[in-house]
Amino acid sequence: MTIRTLVETYYNTQVRAFAQSSHFQRLVSGQLSTRDIDQFIFNLCQAHLKSPQILAFLYSVAPPSAAATLQHNMLEELGLDDEGICHPDLLRQLAIATGFDAQRQQALENAAQEQLRTLCTDPLMFLTIKELGLSVLLEVTCFEWMLSQLSSHIGQALNTHRQLSPESLEWFTHHSEVDIRHAEEGVVAVMDYVTYYEIEADELETILDITFRENIFIKRYFGSLANVKGGRIGLAQEAHILESAR
Amino acid sequence: MKITAATLIALRIPFVEAFTHSIRARRYSDSIVVRIEAEDGTVGYGEAVARPYVTGETVASCLAFMANTLWPAVQQQDYSLPPLSDTNDADESMSMNWVQEIAATLPTQSSSIQNEHDCPDADETASPTVVAWNAARAGWELALIDCLLKASEQSLSSILPPRRSPITYSGVITASGIEQAVKVAKRFKQFGIPHLKVKVTGTDDRPLIAAIREAVGPDPSLRIDGNGAYTVESAIATCEKLAEFNIDSAEQLIPRGAPADLAVVQAASPIPQMVDESLITLEDADALIEARACQWFNLRISKCGGLAQTLAIAQRAEQAGLQLQVGCQVGETAILSAAGRHLAAWLPAVEFVEGSYGKLLLAQDVSRSPIHFGHHGHAPLLTQPGLGVSVNDDILNTYAHQVISLSN
Repeated sequence: MTIRTLVETYYNTQVRAFAQSSHFQRLVSGQLSTRDIDQFIFNLCQAHLKSPQILAFLYSVAPPSAAATLQHNMLEELGLDDEGICHPDLLRQLAIATGFDAQRQQALENAAQEQLRTLCTDPLMFLTIKELGLSVLLEVTCFEWMLSQLSSHIGQALNTHRQLSPESLEWFTHHSEVDIRHAEEGVVAVMDYVTYYEIEADELETILDITFRENIFIKRYFGSLANVKGGRIGLAQEAHILESAR
Repeated sequence: MKITAATLIALRIPFVEAFTHSIRARRYSDSIVVRIEAEDGTVGYGEAVARPYVTGETVASCLAFMANTLWPAVQQQDYSLPPLSDTNDADESMSMNWVQEIAATLPTQSSSIQNEHDCPDADETASPTVVAWNAARAGWELALIDCLLKASEQSLSSILPPRRSPITYSGVITASGIEQAVKVAKRFKQFGIPHLKVKVTGTDDRPLIAAIREAVGPDPSLRIDGNGAYTVESAIATCEKLAEFNIDSAEQLIPRGAPADLAVVQAASPIPQMVDESLITLEDADALIEARACQWFNLRISKCGGLAQTLAIAQRAEQAGLQLQVGCQVGETAILSAAGRHLAAWLPAVEFVEGSYGKLLLAQDVSRSPIHFGHHGHAPLLTQPGLGVSVNDDILNTYAHQVISLSN
């Protein structure tokens, strides 16, 4: 199996498991309560608000052949490219449209910052930045892979079931377009990274296995939403389904 | 110091991945957190993990024993604060006495006090024979130690001065088929974990261990754990088959029973035997030593009835020249992991340490700072007051399956 095929297999498994999950299905079919939808929006914004910083990290560890792409993505996220659309601001716009008051907006900013802090303070499992960088790159590009396929569905669901205006959902519209390009570039960046840092196929597969041992989309978007009496147990079951599917 | 209120919180925190051994598969943590409040407002946390196939306790019966027997006993006490820390032996002895005194306030048998707190299904789910209310007592003992140490702004490390740092943790490979086991073994190799324990079931043991040894190479130490799935004969035969893979110990291959049976396995096997489910009480420890039933003791704080009794068992082992592993409960949160780390740091000799998996296993842990080990299985000492973890009550509330509030 080629590196591309291997990586795409993991990405597709992640996206399929997410799309088929009860969490996603309840979202797009309008079965989530307004409160749960708002928590989903909070989680989504929290997951992506600091994307420029994550891309800056990836830019700093990128091999020369992928550096320009990652730099462009970072500038694009910040709105410093030709289009001039700051992606975190689109998320803030979404949060305001959802009705988050000043206190909740601040809580969102704090939660997003806390995720960056956790990345720095959690004990490192890998020996070097090389492995950590690959794991982060895989997760980021897998998100682009998913958003290129499901972003518009999510946006549509929020429009239909939460009555959010198309303007407030621009983040989803934008990602459904740009992430088709990003998804392809992401896989190329992974291949370049693996080649540049001379990562063996067996090691790549292990890092893929570690990075995707649970569904990253359910974890990031629904992690704090469902409680133990319902969906949280479903999360473990879905992790098991994912394992079985591999 | 009087304890004025307590809350028993039965948790259900999902696992990131299922954990399987020969007896059962687990998908979520079912720990019970004991949250107590002292008269000065200090809050302490303890944790119990009830296992019907180990001590006979279930979550329901454990909650009932905690609420109906331990809480009334704790209410009556006026606890002394720990002695101020110093490093000389006399003070260490005083510190040990303080821990023993706390444990002595916790009844070992059901009281005749009328049950005020009905716990649904307690009778239905209770094991017919509770060997000892060790998990229940451990949960309360740890909460008291945490609370009283915090009240005097001391760390448990002042009571149990650490002898080593960092602590090196083992990885555990669950019984989930050879392909998955090899995947997990490769993860641990990537993480530089130097010690691995493999759950064995009696099915495909040799190809499983051969595949894992090939995946991780010759350097990591390997141990096996049977959770009582074998007979005396099959245990000996299994050890003979697996010895070529350089196995350090074989844990609890046969079920808890007569120490003489274990002694037969120990005498005939090329792999040193470790006891786990067979080692619950001090009387167990004495009988196992007397029978020369093993070379290793697996100490687990919840299983062994708390810190005081675990220390007493460790002392017996040390006198008998046995080797020690500090084990853990699958699904334990940062509270029990912290207590285990203090124990592992203090013991004069400990070969293997398990636990502190935190968010490596749990979807979310209860502590504000991560407890889990890092590369090479290394984790630092905990130096903050009490057990050294700051518990997030919001997370307890999020994952609470059952809550029992107790007050004067």
